[in-house]
Amino acid sequence: MSQTREDPDRALMARIEARDADALAALYDRYGGRLLGLAQRILGRGGEAEEVLQEVFLFAWKSAATFDPSRGTVRTWLLIATRSRSIDRLRSRRSSSRPEVRSLEEVTVNPAAPDDVEASSSDREWESLCRAAVGDLPEDQRRALELAYFEGLTHQEIAARTATPLGTVKTRVRLGLMKLRERMRPYLGSGSDAS
Amino acid sequence: MPHSERHEELVAATALGVPLDADRAELERHLAEGCARCEMLLVDLREASTALAAEAPPVRPPDALRGRILSSLGPARVPAKPASPVFARLLAAAAMLLLVIVGLDDARLRRQREELRSQSAELASRLQSAESALAERTLRARVLESDDVQMLMLGGKDPQPSARGRVFWSPKAKRGVLVAANLTPLPADRQYELWVFQKGKPVAAGVFDVDPQGRALFESTQFPEAEAQNFAVTIEPRGGVPAPTGPIVLVGSPAA
Repeated sequence: MSQTREDPDRALMARIEARDADALAALYDRYGGRLLGLAQRILGRGGEAEEVLQEVFLFAWKSAATFDPSRGTVRTWLLIATRSRSIDRLRSRRSSSRPEVRSLEEVTVNPAAPDDVEASSSDREWESLCRAAVGDLPEDQRRALELAYFEGLTHQEIAARTATPLGTVKTRVRLGLMKLRERMRPYLGSGSDAS
Repeated sequence: MPHSERHEELVAATALGVPLDADRAELERHLAEGCARCEMLLVDLREASTALAAEAPPVRPPDALRGRILSSLGPARVPAKPASPVFARLLAAAAMLLLVIVGLDDARLRRQREELRSQSAELASRLQSAESALAERTLRARVLESDDVQMLMLGGKDPQPSARGRVFWSPKAKRGVLVAANLTPLPADRQYELWVFQKGKPVAAGVFDVDPQGRALFESTQFPEAEAQNFAVTIEPRGGVPAPTGPIVLVGSPAA
């Protein structure tokens, strides 16, 4: 059955709602490294990624009551919060200063050594499923999704960057996400896998 | 409009956080019409999109960061506002909203700031209308002039990110007033439902409709006695439901 229904993170969220700071610390220990890795992938190494991490955990502390388990896991909630805040900063950087043309290679940071960050076995299992799911996507779909996810590009911008017709880009994004959905079914929160 | 592949395209883009610009209204309409398939797809694809995050390997945060975060935690309660004449209070609230729109360093609002700047004049005018209506209501005596009146801003979420609202409430009177703008008018079989978060759980606080301009002024007398931590508005079947089932369109941000 779905792992979301046994998710120990939800117990942490309940304690955070009850203003238990130890629970927030536990959530941080569990996901801080994962979220910082994501923020750094989007923003590069530096203070901004750490600021995002701080914002995300303050958000979790103050808005735990708005977490809705029927709409996804705690990990998803935190990843979406991290990703959207990072993309906000990236877009703000683009509009307020120089228009940057960045490639994925430029913003990719050096990964930590595998043993540098302790991950729970469930997190490793999740990561390995995700990597396999993304790795199995056709190259053009994966590229379109990465440009949207890590660089915050619009359909039009992806079309321009990859010299691809707009309609094709929209289709790639849709098909790519649909494929990820199939592969990620054990982790989906909508209950669509409940049959 | 019946479900189509195009809607799935729009849902996929939304799940991925890709700005839809002109197409957003179309998706909002479709979801407001109650397409359960797209609702479910949006939840699933949003979750599925996080698979991409696994491409970014974890990084050990600096040791000091943990302490910095934990030491910055404060109670997420909304401070009580001092009593003041209603009109002055409403003007102050409108000014505060504009300040929020232009300058608030809130990440969620920042994402929409550019869009909101262009809408701020229109919003201010809508607020004035809503507030004139508010001034005509006797409820002001019961809620807004209570010496324990509190206020919380609500921000829009997908599928209605430009929705805005404020809740004024009096814990003593167990009443509250929601003033909202930019909500999408719903089909006849749907209504908006207000939820009060109490001890982390949503408690139904009544259903309401919006006018053709998407504005609402709603008084709830169903506020729980205990302290309200947050508020949210969802789309539900007409008449309301005891526990939320539909999409959240407005939610408070105690962090702000």
